[in-house]
Parts: sequence; structure tokens; C-alpha cells
Amino acid sequence: MPDAPDSLLEAPPCASDPAQESLVLESLPKEPAFRHSRLQRLADRWSHLLFLACGLLVVALIGGILYFLAARGVGAFMPLAGNTDKILTLKEVFLSTDWDPNSGKFGILPFIAGSLSVTGLALLIAAPAGILTGVFIAKLAPGWMKTLMRQVMDLLVGIPSVVYGIFGLMVVLPWVSGKWLSDSPAAGFAVSAAILAVMIVPTIVSLSTDAFESLPLTLEEGSQALGSTRWQAIWHVLIPAARPRLLTATVLGLGRAIGEAMAIQMVIGNNPQWIALMRQSTDQTPILRFLFTPAATLTTELVQELPNTAAGSTWNNLLFAMGLLLYLMTMLIILATRRLGRQRNA
Amino acid sequence: MLSPQTPETKPVKLSVRNMDFRYGEKKVLDGLSLDIHAERVTAIIGPSGCGKSTFLKCFNRIHEVSSAVKVSGDMQIDGVDIYRGGIDEVDLRRRVGMVFQKPNPFPKSIYENVAFGPRLFGMKDKATLDGIVEDALRKSALWDEVKDRLKESATGMSGGQQQRLCIARALAVNPEVLLMDEPCSALDPIATAKIEELIVELKENLTIVIVTHNMQQAARVSDYTAFFWLGKLIEMDLTERIFTTPRERMTEDYLTGRFG
Repeated sequence: MPDAPDSLLEAPPCASDPAQESLVLESLPKEPAFRHSRLQRLADRWSHLLFLACGLLVVALIGGILYFLAARGVGAFMPLAGNTDKILTLKEVFLSTDWDPNSGKFGILPFIAGSLSVTGLALLIAAPAGILTGVFIAKLAPGWMKTLMRQVMDLLVGIPSVVYGIFGLMVVLPWVSGKWLSDSPAAGFAVSAAILAVMIVPTIVSLSTDAFESLPLTLEEGSQALGSTRWQAIWHVLIPAARPRLLTATVLGLGRAIGEAMAIQMVIGNNPQWIALMRQSTDQTPILRFLFTPAATLTTELVQELPNTAAGSTWNNLLFAMGLLLYLMTMLIILATRRLGRQRNA
Repeated sequence: MLSPQTPETKPVKLSVRNMDFRYGEKKVLDGLSLDIHAERVTAIIGPSGCGKSTFLKCFNRIHEVSSAVKVSGDMQIDGVDIYRGGIDEVDLRRRVGMVFQKPNPFPKSIYENVAFGPRLFGMKDKATLDGIVEDALRKSALWDEVKDRLKESATGMSGGQQQRLCIARALAVNPEVLLMDEPCSALDPIATAKIEELIVELKENLTIVIVTHNMQQAARVSDYTAFFWLGKLIEMDLTERIFTTPRERMTEDYLTGRFG
């Protein structure tokens, strides 16, 4: 391999005065001062491989987890080697609300509906609250408060979810139950969604604050120069302009919410038969029954039952299938939202 | 263009007396006094940092959006004080429109950009809005270029089109004064020529104040020219007189490129 053309480095600098030119040439070192050693070039090549390997490892891990979940999960529906337990049909699993593994009923619809309900409710609270807080921090708060709020939000993101769960279990549940439900248990979607919302609000706040701060000031000036009030500028110009990034903020919150297990498991009541229970009881309005019936989600059922089921049993295999479903749901939501964001952007 | 032989017939629209502008502790504008006549184009020229953009932004109080500032002295529109005359800034800004240095269309459709102002003031009727949008786009010489793609995003237009859209957007609320802050500094010569043509047409029933770095532009479009230097008004007169027989040595030096 030919060396780098040294002649380029040694080309005389342009100087109009010949005397000055020779002076400059003499002061230049004979060897170019900066040149990569053989070792450095070797290190460069190797570091390239190192980065490549790290990247491939991540891809392999994601693929590996997917394969592991699929390999175990498929066992619930197919007679694989070493699987002697009952084989289920897709219909009786995905289209049934009847969950009673001990008598051979494996309908997982309550868990899917539970996951979607609690996540949807949490987003309904967290997205508007988070985005409006973002507006406040980026556009309205005075300097000192802006710094303080940003730091607080960054701290809140790092609190382990089990801490939120304990708070929900020890403080929120008794309080709600005593205050509004005349001491009947408060476990269910309402408290779970509230706890989940508190967990994901900091993420949404941080990202939407960034979104609003990255908008050029000229947009706000342009709006106000037409006679809009500050609030009209925020509502009609800034929020629409930031929409793609606000959507991303919400999806990241959604990703955290749908996968959360510990905090919810402590406050949701863990009742796989919640749909049946809700239908039976008639003592409250439907909306209250929905909010305060003890329920379950895909994640809470996984955490609850995975340690209690025998490996290779139908129940155990189905839990892996539920894990796979959770994985695919999350992926689907993220991909769909990305596409949505791109369309609106264009 | 107004010449020294014909007397001024238009009334004073904006008048400024002993006006100071402080940004924090720093005095940016110092003891300004001048009159701006209705339906004329007044150009403000001067080296960078002389306070000409700041001065322009005082007329619609738009600097209040981003920072705390202090204005003292008198600034009047039709004899009513802009800062202390009981005009609220929303009403002021409807009467005094502004076009910014860089085109700043909203990330909405062309139609929605122009309809934005009228909608703010409660205009809901579709037919009337359509009429306002078409009228504003015609006035800003953009209608023929965009009439078939009103629903497309404004951010996909060229820089010159975007700036004319911003002019249309300002015209749609029927302002009395149009402030232009170096409106052509981000545009190529052809787009610049179009905007300059437009300025001359628009002064028929609009008072225009334009800040520009480009002295040829001031000479081409304006009736009056004011020369600012370090926050002070050095000289203001008919453009023709400023460019041929300025009273101040400093103005002459600046115009002939000896400093600035």
C-alpha cells in the first residue's frame, strides 16, 4: 500500500515576498509533524471490528430473545419434543375470556384487554399532563424554575418501578378506598393507571420540553406578530409544529407503560377472571366497575405465575407465548407510530 | 418616488420623540425622534448592531415575546401612544404587521398560513376566508404560483415564495403599517427583485418601514431614508436627498463605503 502523499504536506505555502517565503520554508520541520504510526493504523482497523462486533451482539441478543420466546411459546400450540401436555388451538387462546388453567381453560383475552386498558388509561392521563408541563417548562417558567424542574424530571425517570408500586400499595390504595369506596378494596385499573401515569410522566415531560425548546423563536414571534396571544401561539402554532416529536415522547412513555410489571402487580389485584366478575356485579355504574374491579395484565400474569408453573407444561408454554405477544405488540406500536410520524412530517 | 420638489401631502402615521430603549442595563437606542408618513416607504439603514432592527421591533412590541426591555420617551401611532396609550399589544399587532428577516411560515398548509390571522380574530365563514386568502395572495403576487396547491405544506416552497407568503399572511389581517426586518437578506437576487416590486405596489394603501443592509435596495424602494449609527439617528430625509446631498459627513462616509 503506498504511503500518504507527503508532497502535499511539503508544498510551499503561498507567500508573495520571496525572502519571507524562504524563511517560512526553513522554519518548517523536515518530517511532517503529524503522522499516524503503524500501531495507530492497526488500532484503527481493530477498533472498527470491535464496534462492529458490539453492534452485531446487540442485534444477536434481540434476535435470540425473540427466538427463545417463540421456541417455548409455540409449544403450547404444537406437539414439540418433550411436550406431552395438552395442545391448544389459537382460537381457544386468543378469542376466549375464560382463564382457568386448572380445568384446562386458557383464554388470554382478559390479559390482553387488561394490558391495553391500563396502558390506555395511563396515557390518557400522562400524555396531556406531560405535554402541557413541557410547554410550561420550555415557554413559561422563569429561569430558576426551569432548571429545577428539568433536574427533578431527570431524577424521577430513574426511580425504580417497585418504589412506585410500594407507594401505590401502602398509600394510594388505602386512601382511595377510604375516601371514595367506603372501605371496599380499590385495586384495579384506576389506581394502576394512576401509578403508571406518574411513572411515565417524567419521560414525556423531558422529551416534550426538548421538543418545544428546539422550535425556532421565529415561529412564536410570527404568530404573535399577527396579533395572537401567547396561549394562541402555543396552542395553534407551537404544539402542531412539535407534533412529530410529541408523538415520539408519547410512544416512549407507552413503551415503558406496556412493559411495566412490578408496580402494577402490586396494585391491580391480579384477578384473571376480571371480565366475568365485572359482568356479574351490578352494584355500581359500569364505568366505576371497570375502574375498580381487581384485574390482571399480560405482565402481571407473567410475573405472578412463571415461577409457579412446571417447565414444559401447557400453562408454562403459554406464558412464554404471552411474553412473545407482549414483545410483538410493543414492536408493532413503535413501528406504526414511526410511520405515522413520518407521514405527518412530510 | 417622492422628490424634493413636491411637498409631502400624507399625514404622519408613526411619530417618535426622545425615545430610549434599554436592554437590561445597556442602552441600545438613544434619544430618537422621527416621523413616518402614511403610505410612504421609509428605509432604515446603518451598520450592523446600530439598533435599526431593535427600533423596528418597538413599533409592534414584538421584542416583549423573548425578553424584558424598557422603552422610554414617546412612540405614537395616529397620535396614540403605543406603550402607554391604552392600546393592548394584540390590537397593536393587528394594525402593525411584520415580516421577519428569515421567512417563518408555520408548518401548515399555504391556505392555513394565510387564514391564520383572520381565524385568530374569529373569522369562521368559509367563503369569506377563501376570499381573504385569495386577496392576500394576489396582493403578495403569489396567487398564480400557488392557487392549485393551497393545501400543500408551506415549508415545501422556495425561500422567496415563503417570504411572499409571510407578507400575504401579514396582509390578511388588513394592517395599517407593515414592518419589514431585512426581508430579502436570505433571498437570491430574483426573489429580492420580486419583493422590492411588491413593496412599491403595497405602499398604495399601507405605511411601510423597512430595515435593510442593502443601500441600493433603500435607494430603489424608499421615499424616506433614516441613517442610524450606534443607537442614534444621524440623519433622516427624503431618500433622493440622502443619496445625493446628505447633510451629515457621517452619512456620506457610510454611503460611499468609507466605514460600516
